Amino acid sequence: MDKRQVEENIFKFLMGVSTSIVLGSLLLIVLTILAKGLPSLSLNMLIQTPQGGYYAGKEGGILNAIIGSLVLGIGGTFLAALIGIPVALYLNLYLPKGSKWATAVRFSFDVLWGIPSIVYGAFGFTLMIILGLRASLLAGMITIALLIIPIIARTMDEALKMIPAELKETSYALGATKFETALKVILRQAAPGILTALLLGFGRGVGDAASVLFTAGFTDNLPTSLFKPVATLPLAIFFQLGTPFPEVQQRGYASAFVLTVLLLLVSLVSRRLSKKYTKHIVR
Amino acid sequence: MKTHIEIENLNVYYGEEQVLNNISIDIPDKKITAIIGPSGCGKTTLLKSINRLIDEVDGVKVSGKVLVDGEDIYDPKAEVTQIRKKMGLLSQKPYPLPMSIYDNVAYGPRIHGQKDKKKLDALVEHYLRESSLWDEVKDKLHSSAARLSVGQQQRLCLARGLAVEPEAILGDEPTSSLDPVSAERIERKLLELKGKYTIIIVTHSLRQAKRLADYVLFLYLGNLIEHGPAEEFFKNPKHVKTHAYINGRFIDEHKIDKELNLKGTECPANFVKTKIALEGMEIGQVLKVIVDDKTAVSEVPKAVEYDGHKVLSVNPLNNTDWEIICQKEL
Repeated sequence: MDKRQVEENIFKFLMGVSTSIVLGSLLLIVLTILAKGLPSLSLNMLIQTPQGGYYAGKEGGILNAIIGSLVLGIGGTFLAALIGIPVALYLNLYLPKGSKWATAVRFSFDVLWGIPSIVYGAFGFTLMIILGLRASLLAGMITIALLIIPIIARTMDEALKMIPAELKETSYALGATKFETALKVILRQAAPGILTALLLGFGRGVGDAASVLFTAGFTDNLPTSLFKPVATLPLAIFFQLGTPFPEVQQRGYASAFVLTVLLLLVSLVSRRLSKKYTKHIVR
Repeated sequence: MKTHIEIENLNVYYGEEQVLNNISIDIPDKKITAIIGPSGCGKTTLLKSINRLIDEVDGVKVSGKVLVDGEDIYDPKAEVTQIRKKMGLLSQKPYPLPMSIYDNVAYGPRIHGQKDKKKLDALVEHYLRESSLWDEVKDKLHSSAARLSVGQQQRLCLARGLAVEPEAILGDEPTSSLDPVSAERIERKLLELKGKYTIIIVTHSLRQAKRLADYVLFLYLGNLIEHGPAEEFFKNPKHVKTHAYINGRFIDEHKIDKELNLKGTECPANFVKTKIALEGMEIGQVLKVIVDDKTAVSEVPKAVEYDGHKVLSVNPLNNTDWEIICQKEL
């Protein structure tokens, strides 16, 4: 074998190893959750709220956290989209390509993306005090929104960058304003990218424990008001794994399994929904 | 010939670079005008200046006037959406909007306020017929425009452009991405439409310009070199660069250091004068001599080469005049 062939083979081997590490860890995580959680997963766990003594191994379930996480995640993503979508459109449609302002905005988002979620938690907590809010669903939603705005705005920004300039020109040439073009053409053309952005944000928001620790609080009840505390799955997992009782710890793993399946389901459903909108996309 | 669009002293800069240099031209009403010229000469820029799509280019500066129906579209008070509504655009590659065939055609009318479902239906059918697409799509109006073939997409883009009831159609090499059959259909369509609309097309293809155009503009490096009625233009180009371009020759660019007009002189006076002029120049400098004597066209270059100088090119300028470009070597 000549030298270049050897090089080629070594490189292929290294790529194979890296890929297996990634796939392997994913598989290991899923297997761990399944093996430890599945035995204690029951229908009751999914449809009941914690009864007295649930964390000591008595009856009950995590419905409060499932519903809480969904409401919080959807609300936070909605708030973040309200801010993220206009920002991404502004960066791509209204600002000139080499704009220094756009570069500065993108850079800030990249920095914000990297900030640990506990910092957002602390910031949200400060904001809460200023606004006179208590640990509540609303405060949680706002904090989650802050946490995922950079993710949503930047991912959408990248999706909008891919839209051919000619498509915009086509719409302008018909006498459309930038706003009409954004609303009727750009958002449709970028629909898959926007959906991906929202999903990424939602996943991060639903899965994050640190940012909601102070801001959303925790409760054994179902969420009924924006101004009352709300339970979340990551915190439910944290509390269950933190007990000294093995059977409750097992329920913690089962809860982790529920969270994983939840994210998978949301992803599948939205992809199915997006097919309806993406059939018109011009490639 | 009635004028539809008047361009007066139009200059366009992209940043520091000037891409259109003082263009003035009257574009005739309800005729096909072809803009020809080599790549990068500013053809598309000129086209986009007419519907102000040029505004979308970053760092663009425009001076001069473009009068459509006597109104300057660069007047700060002019409303850009209304200007663009007057011009249907056909781009190089068709870009259907990400929606159904029906919605593509209805997009323009809807934006401009047409909400009546029945009227929209009628408009969509009318303009799809106008662009000869109706029979192929009438059963699938609500399926995606993206699924049509490229040729059908281009006709859809035509229908979409016509549906806003423009006065002019601007085509930026509208057939360059199409197969020959689809391209021919578009060309035929444009010929049919020229009685109703002023059509301006940018084209790379001289043959296409010959087939379609009533009037031709030749642009070279941002300058309007020559323009005129098509027949005249192709049969009898007045400018040396036009002549070279339509005969498929390269246009040589020489920096001319000195010019000598020897019209009306005969041999040997003209080559003697040329030699004397070269004597007084420095090595490497370029001299342009214009002659109108037939024998001079062969005798002057011979004499120049005999003296050890270089003849760079000999080109006809028009029926009688020739230019001889030579470089001092010794």
